[in-house]
Amino acid sequence: MTEPKKVLATFQVNGEPHEVAFLPHKTLLEVLREEMNLTGTKHGCELGECGACTVQIDGKPILSCLMLAVDAVGKDVRTVEGLANGAELSQLQHAFADLGAAQCGYCTPGILMTADALLAENASPTRDEIKQCLAGNLCRCTGSLTIFEAVELAAARCRGEKAEPSKESIYGS
Amino acid sequence: MSYEPKNPRDGVEITVGYRGLGGQPDRLEKRTVQPAEGDAPPWDANTPFAVVGTDVDRTDGIAKASGRAKYAYDITFPGMLQAMILRSTVARGVLTGLELDEARKMPGIGAVVALKEIGNKVRFVGDAIAAVAGTTLHAVRDAIEKIRATYEAEAHNVDFLQLPDAPMLGIAGDIDDEWPADENVDGALAAAKVTHTGTYRTEVQTHSSLETHGGVAKWNGKDLEVWNSTQATFGVRGELAGALKARGIEVESLTVHAEFIGGGFGSKFSAGIEALAGCLLAKEANAPVKLMLDRFEEHTCTGNRPSALMQVRAGLDDKGTITAWDWRSFGGCGFNGGGGSVAVPNYYTSQAKKRASHKELAMDTDPARPMRAPGHPQGWFGAELFLDELAAKAGIDPLEFRLHNDDQTIRQDQWRFGAERFGWQKARARTNDPKARYWHGVGLASARWGTLGNAGRPAHGITCRIHQDGTVESRSGAQDCGPGLKTVMAIITAEELGLPAERVKAVSGHTSDPSGPASGGSTTTPSLAPAVRHSAWLARQQLVELVAKHLGVPENQVACTGGKVGAGTAMLPWNEACKLIGPNPIEARGKRFDNYKQDPFFRGVCGCQFAEVEVDTWTGIVRTTRMLAIQDCGVVIAKKLAESQVLGAMIQGVSYALHEQRIMDRTSGRMLNGDFLRYKITGPKDLPQLECIMHTVHNGHANTSAAGLGEPPSVAAPAAVANAVFHALGVPLRHLPITPDKVLAALANRKV
Repeated sequence: MTEPKKVLATFQVNGEPHEVAFLPHKTLLEVLREEMNLTGTKHGCELGECGACTVQIDGKPILSCLMLAVDAVGKDVRTVEGLANGAELSQLQHAFADLGAAQCGYCTPGILMTADALLAENASPTRDEIKQCLAGNLCRCTGSLTIFEAVELAAARCRGEKAEPSKESIYGS
Repeated sequence: MSYEPKNPRDGVEITVGYRGLGGQPDRLEKRTVQPAEGDAPPWDANTPFAVVGTDVDRTDGIAKASGRAKYAYDITFPGMLQAMILRSTVARGVLTGLELDEARKMPGIGAVVALKEIGNKVRFVGDAIAAVAGTTLHAVRDAIEKIRATYEAEAHNVDFLQLPDAPMLGIAGDIDDEWPADENVDGALAAAKVTHTGTYRTEVQTHSSLETHGGVAKWNGKDLEVWNSTQATFGVRGELAGALKARGIEVESLTVHAEFIGGGFGSKFSAGIEALAGCLLAKEANAPVKLMLDRFEEHTCTGNRPSALMQVRAGLDDKGTITAWDWRSFGGCGFNGGGGSVAVPNYYTSQAKKRASHKELAMDTDPARPMRAPGHPQGWFGAELFLDELAAKAGIDPLEFRLHNDDQTIRQDQWRFGAERFGWQKARARTNDPKARYWHGVGLASARWGTLGNAGRPAHGITCRIHQDGTVESRSGAQDCGPGLKTVMAIITAEELGLPAERVKAVSGHTSDPSGPASGGSTTTPSLAPAVRHSAWLARQQLVELVAKHLGVPENQVACTGGKVGAGTAMLPWNEACKLIGPNPIEARGKRFDNYKQDPFFRGVCGCQFAEVEVDTWTGIVRTTRMLAIQDCGVVIAKKLAESQVLGAMIQGVSYALHEQRIMDRTSGRMLNGDFLRYKITGPKDLPQLECIMHTVHNGHANTSAAGLGEPPSVAAPAAVANAVFHALGVPLRHLPITPDKVLAALANRKV
């Protein structure tokens, strides 16, 4: 038995071409992480059940653990590393950082990619639309409420509204 | 804050307690405490905080929102090998054969190690047998196929209620065994006006961290570096050092890194066989090795919250006081028969004659590991649902019943405040139209957590450095699993130095820095906050000395405030003051002194929660629609992060109450739902409306009155949800999770 041979292909990732040699049975998740060192996209379950590996293909969120890398050749791939404009984080990323919408943070990149695709389609999503859209992204620390608030905050800021994070209540101090 | 170089020897008078919740009276009192020689003077209820308790952003928020945060799974080195573990297919037996040579010959394989020897016992489906490292996971899988492991299987049992020493259950699911005689309790029960009994059950819950267990091992000669997804950097270091030594492998230095951890919830204290296997493979292959578990292994091989069977009988006198309380419980543990104990609230029963017993029942499954308030959600569910049933029998409102029996003042205030805010009376008075599809109900439950940090661990420390360029560092070797240790370090250091929190660079998770506790028992923050404070306080003294000398003023007149250091009108901007430091930074090592010998205001933290549910009587699906937590938070250090802990615990509680359940195949001993499709955890669409009231309580147990919040708010939530379902249906559902089948069965059996 011999080891399988790598194939060479050019991926369009985060607006730049990446020429990569990879084993043809590798998933997009594996190739992004192992061959391009884009480790922002996470391994969660590799069964398409948790959403941690979500990236965008031509603007639509997909689970990179269920897609063969060869199928992404010729498509526009966007990962969490491509959300920022150079050093400047996107409004959505800022909102997540401002609200602390991450506890352990492991589910965060997948959620960002899903929510970013939502905001591209719908500038004013309702809470129910956000829940529906993020239904495939699990968060075990369950900062989910803050996650919804962060998406709403980002949407408001993108619309040019002066939105402030909601205030928590401390009593008796 | 004024500069006090020494603690008065005759003690310090502080104000402890809390200010009234929602117009209730203040509960403040004076207390004299004796700080240890050299410790920072205590903060108290009158300390005017500039940073503590404010809306400081999570220090690692940007790292996490940008994808730059590196978890153990993300660590990569050139030439690194991937690895997997061969797992047992039998639940109980003996390993009779293990042939590894064929696997070694497979292409791309760098190392193969046996994790059991022939003749060793196999204890559960998933027990680790051998490990393989190779250039790709595919090569490793192919090689694992070539390993020949044979077993002599023995009869196994993966259902704790089928064990010979399990109690007998009747058709209705109640424990049928007679209660052993007890003069004390029997007498009190006989004298009671109202008595009641009930049997309660919970199922096995898995931790289900999104990042699986494992990490990367890299040798450099006899020096070993390990990147591990762990809640205990120092624990992993000690465990691996011991295990490698026991195998005759020489280790000169061992450093553990865990800068970011993708969840743990109690399952990641131990290095586990996977981390050890990684080190052994890396040694044999002479290459770095990454070994991360897959989702099925995560569900079946990394611990769980055991199931519980509980029975209680109790009695009330004519005033509604609990006068008798008889409890027995059984834990459905893994093969080692440990970790299944059940905790029960004790503050309702101070007037009662009491008895309690517990028995652990060992199944042939993966052993229990601590999980977010071990033993508490199960015990509180049993006890609080029982209390609602008992109150109903006596015709007393559940809130009134608790106000009457709860002997903890803090919670008395919380009950009243919470009930008002939640609209308890109105919601409780609402009745369901029997013809309506959706029925509603509300419930409440208490919480209690008993620790305020690991005191007396002088080895625990924090390094604070102030550099010539004005940079401030706070460093701990302990891990920040997400609750926010780094943010706590930045806030406390900033408070002490009169700086905004973003000026402090907080670093955690490398064992090359000072030792800290494992993140368990909600002790990380209360254990380390006083040491952080001490480190910053010591560093400040050194800076103050320099500035005093420079300005020609006495040290006790120098203040660090508002980003400036100086006295009177001669205030130097922070960066100017730091120029006096010289090329070597100020470096101070803060210590964790013992808690004050004097009693704190309260030992532990109190809380209560209210829940509202909607039951779909057609489908049996229960949805939690609204929840409110009133949570004693000690002194809130990082407001956003504290709130996040409480909300997260509430949602996880909903998940435990309504969804989570490990299902085992009795024949094969294998978990049937070891994935996220069939093992359901709460997702975005299951989320109720949530509100969390952070109740600041100045405990006065150490120089900061910080409390840990991971566990306390997870105690009440499942019980509050179960009580709300009882209210909605009129019958109690005594077996968690409350899945649609149980709801429909209860509706079918309900007397109309």
